[in-house]
Amino acid sequence: MKKNKAGEKGVERDYSKSQSARLLLRLLSPYKGMCVVTLLMLLCDIVGTLYVPTELSALINAAISTKGSPEILSHGLRMLAASVIGSGGCIISFYLASRLAANIGRDMRVAVYRKSLELSGFDFGQFGTGSMITRTLSDANVVQQTFLMTFIMLAPVPIICVVSVVLAFGVDYQMGWLLLSISVVMSLIMVAAVRKSAPIFLIMQGFVDRMNTRLREHITGVRVIRAFGKEEDARRGLDQTFEDYARNAIRVNMVFATADCATFFLMNLVEVLVIWLGADRVGAHAMQIGSISALVEYAMIIMFFMMMGQFAILQLPRAMACLTRATEVLEAVPSVADPEEPKAIGTGAATRGDVVASFDHVGFRYADADEETLHDVDFRVRRGEVTAVIGNTGSGKSTIAKLLLRFHDVTSGSLSFMGADVRGVRRADLRARIGYVPQKAWLFSGTVASNLRDGDDSADEERLWHALDVAQGGFVRDLPEGLAAPVAQGGSNFSGGQRQRLAIARALVRKADLYVFDDSFSALDFKTDALLRHALKDELADAAVVIIAQRVSTIRDAAQIVVLDEGRVVGLGTHDELMRICPTYQAIARSQERGGVEDGR
Amino acid sequence: MADRDKKDARDEKDELEVPENGLLTARRLWASARGLRWRVVVATIAAILYVTCDLITPLYSAHLIDLLWKNIQAAFAKGEPFVVTLDDGGRELLVYLGIWMLAWVFYSTQSLVMASFAERLNLRLRKDISAKVGRLPLRYFDAHKPGDTISRATNDLDKVSEVLQRGLLQIIISAVTLVGALIIMFRMDVLLASIFTVFIAASLLLTRVVAGRTLVVAGRRQEVLGRLTGRVEEAYSGRTVVKAFGRERASLEQIEADAQELALVSARADFLTNAISPAIRFLTRLSQVICGVLAGGMLVAGRLTIGTFQAFFQYVFKASEPVTQLSLTVNMLQGALAAAERVFRLLDEEEVVPDPEQPARLPEHVRGRVAFEHVRFGYSPDKPLMSDVSFVAEPGQKVAIVGQTGAGKTTLINLLMRFYEVDGGRITLDGIDTRRLARADLRRQFGMVLQDAWLFEGTIAQNIAYGKSDATREDVEAAARAAHVDYFVRTLPDGYDTVLSNDAENISQGQRQLLTIARAMLMDPAILILDEATSSVDTRTEQYITRAMEAIMEDRTSFVIAHRLSTIVDADLILVMDHGSIVEKGNHRELLAKGGMYAELYRSQFA
Repeated sequence: MKKNKAGEKGVERDYSKSQSARLLLRLLSPYKGMCVVTLLMLLCDIVGTLYVPTELSALINAAISTKGSPEILSHGLRMLAASVIGSGGCIISFYLASRLAANIGRDMRVAVYRKSLELSGFDFGQFGTGSMITRTLSDANVVQQTFLMTFIMLAPVPIICVVSVVLAFGVDYQMGWLLLSISVVMSLIMVAAVRKSAPIFLIMQGFVDRMNTRLREHITGVRVIRAFGKEEDARRGLDQTFEDYARNAIRVNMVFATADCATFFLMNLVEVLVIWLGADRVGAHAMQIGSISALVEYAMIIMFFMMMGQFAILQLPRAMACLTRATEVLEAVPSVADPEEPKAIGTGAATRGDVVASFDHVGFRYADADEETLHDVDFRVRRGEVTAVIGNTGSGKSTIAKLLLRFHDVTSGSLSFMGADVRGVRRADLRARIGYVPQKAWLFSGTVASNLRDGDDSADEERLWHALDVAQGGFVRDLPEGLAAPVAQGGSNFSGGQRQRLAIARALVRKADLYVFDDSFSALDFKTDALLRHALKDELADAAVVIIAQRVSTIRDAAQIVVLDEGRVVGLGTHDELMRICPTYQAIARSQERGGVEDGR
Repeated sequence: MADRDKKDARDEKDELEVPENGLLTARRLWASARGLRWRVVVATIAAILYVTCDLITPLYSAHLIDLLWKNIQAAFAKGEPFVVTLDDGGRELLVYLGIWMLAWVFYSTQSLVMASFAERLNLRLRKDISAKVGRLPLRYFDAHKPGDTISRATNDLDKVSEVLQRGLLQIIISAVTLVGALIIMFRMDVLLASIFTVFIAASLLLTRVVAGRTLVVAGRRQEVLGRLTGRVEEAYSGRTVVKAFGRERASLEQIEADAQELALVSARADFLTNAISPAIRFLTRLSQVICGVLAGGMLVAGRLTIGTFQAFFQYVFKASEPVTQLSLTVNMLQGALAAAERVFRLLDEEEVVPDPEQPARLPEHVRGRVAFEHVRFGYSPDKPLMSDVSFVAEPGQKVAIVGQTGAGKTTLINLLMRFYEVDGGRITLDGIDTRRLARADLRRQFGMVLQDAWLFEGTIAQNIAYGKSDATREDVEAAARAAHVDYFVRTLPDGYDTVLSNDAENISQGQRQLLTIARAMLMDPAILILDEATSSVDTRTEQYITRAMEAIMEDRTSFVIAHRLSTIVDADLILVMDHGSIVEKGNHRELLAKGGMYAELYRSQFA
């Protein structure tokens, strides 16, 4: 069983690896030229870096062979040139790498966000808002930083090794072999350290998340924890998470410290070896004494870059995980999509009483659910009429609105709008004909006017004020800035009732064929509710209206009321009719009547 | 948005922050490291010894190379090849190796000894924080966002450990290396050393300037990132609206613009951060070139030996690395001390009054008579939240509390459960002043269902059994059935073993609420508190729950806070609150007849 599980995991990882590799290539492809230039500059940097000690040793050799000052000066000038080229290349490559990484981060953010707009509500819910925010922002950030580090710290490592080994062979073949073996041993140490610590790093990420979750839980639930006298349990739980984290962090640190010590040991050994072997080679006339210092420096440079590279490599698994998470979003297939050859929505059904939307034996089931949320729902929505939908929590009433806007597709039957099946038209065209007030009144940061104009860009101030008046949004007149009054994120600087009225006004600004109020009146007090419904009656006399509601009082006057119970229509008619024939409706109405509980006894 | 701005401003400040009293904070950290201090002492001694060895090696190598070169030349003069033997430089080579190995031993000692120091200290401070969170008064949590407290235990302590892990010894090593190397270099050759010193000074200056610029750009980056984060959060939360109104294009353009700005700023910030070291390296190389040419001349003139020549350049290499290290680590150190200061500030927060040493005992069977006697309460004396509240709830009574938001309904409950302490008057349970009881004893008598349905990460069964860990599966299911949530739980693939996670959206707010009701039911407490408990369920489900609650409310005192008056018309006592005091008191009929505030509220709901 255990083995089986591990096997599965392996398969999963390979799969995601190839996927994220594809995303990586896709992200890099617009910047091929820039990548090449960056790598070229990096090469300049490395050659410059290694050429300085080379020339320095040549200078020593020239000095001791007493060839004189002109020679020394020319070596000095060459060193200067190498410094300028090397440092210049380095700085330019860093600049390019920063730009490159930033562009890749940006592209990833935008790509994920763009994709999120294509996903249906259900698809999006599969990821969850919190996770989507992480994928859009911090995952992209990790990838960006890792890219940068790869360019600055990782890419130079192989180049440095190759160039310095070549240079060493140029001095003396034995020295070349020495440097080559150092490179190999260093790489082995590096690989060992990374292999040992990379899995711990991934686990640690999990512990960091756990720490955050546990703490947040503890703080937001402090009343409940204390009410239940669970302070000790909660503290122990937290401490356990802290200990797990610390234990793993220490393990990683120890692995690093050990690798660090091993590298250091090697470095020291090389210092002695180079002098010893070097002296022998000078003694055999194979090389000059000054070259010893160049070789020592090559070895130091190799180790320095290897240690940096090791640090960069450790970031890779995390970045891979982030890439995979982004890939999951980018490769998700939206469950709702526009047709390839969209039809236009007719302008017909312009007179009162004509059918605007028609539910024909509609069934709906969420992809991950066993049972249908809606079952054989059949009714028409007519122009000039109010159609109300009422039912308990979980009865499926909110799904009606989602289907109308085609946030989901019906799984059986059909839903047509102005005579056209909604699956045959473009979603944008469909939604342009609908004024929608969501259950949770959400506003965007900006101004009152900018929010209202989400309903219709071209609306003038007069129309905005009119919509506000109908929506009982008179309070905007009392704001010092009026329509220009600032709105905070989500509309949090307005009360729930005010937000709801602004959301209603936003829908009214749009001249639509159908207005959908998804449980939009619950946040209003009874008085405002009544005034609003009265104003709406005149305002929307020529449109079709769907009101999804909890309160019977809100929908008492509707031309038809659809009563839903566990996804089925159990009643359809006017208030008076339903009061006579529909037991479910009667039960709902009774529970809301004046002193209902008392009478019910 | 205002909150977000504030947060960004703080983040930015974090970057630039210097501790208010660095010395004091450092001393407190030192005090917290009790039992771990030997690690710092040993590591510091080892680090200094390591640097000493490290500084001796080039000096010795100068001697060694000069010796070897002399022997080589001697051999060449004789026309023989030269091979290192024990007598011919071998002994010196072994000494050289010995010094290096000594350096390695000291280096490894400090590295391994310090590897666990920072995390051990952090663990200790984290445990202090978790204990502290349990002792903080509720008013602390009312005044601070959860994110702030969380980041004390995570980000801030991470900052501290990062610096303790690498920075602390790095500063010692860098400083000693720099000073030591300069002294030796001056003893080798004053002219060369002076030239090098000029470049070191220039490097230090450059680093300071660039580091300053970096901080400014980093702050700017944080600001832009904060804006983008806000934008994305907003767009995701309101995506239904974005789509319903066909605003996809506009929204995408906005995000693109913000992402573009972030890309520009972060490219600049990253470049500045990373470009310091190549810039410094360039200065070092320039000094190498000048010194190299001069030293080459001296070599020709015989004023310098070849050993000293190469040793000098080893010191150049050794001394220039610490320059960058030093100035960067100083910034980090300041940031870490500031972070530690914030942690200590949290640990110093005022705590709840401890339980009395010899608490009064409640009888085995609590009857549930609750009395408020002239209770006063307020965060600050000039702004009382509650002034002179008195009432009595007889055992088994249903007490309803109504009033506008901010009228003090929740405060009343918080006082009753001693989440807040009264400032005047007293609250009694069965005649005993609640302040004389141990908090745990008092709270055990209450079952609570709150407005925000709090569930922890765990299975549904675990969540329901939270108040009664010895409950059997049958008990749990019975409670769930009573709370009308059994059916729903059974439709989930894993039933009662379904794990609830905070991010999961598979369970609605109403269902979460029902689970907390089941939790309270299972606890079978003497007194029930329902704070807007049914606000997220519709009226009919609410009625089911109310009936179920009524069944267990028999013979129990209960407190109900509700928006919808329909749920409380049968209450034995209705308290109408306004601005922290009780303005009306009585049952439904009495209050309606009175024609006051309650009657007004009732009419507005059922007009």
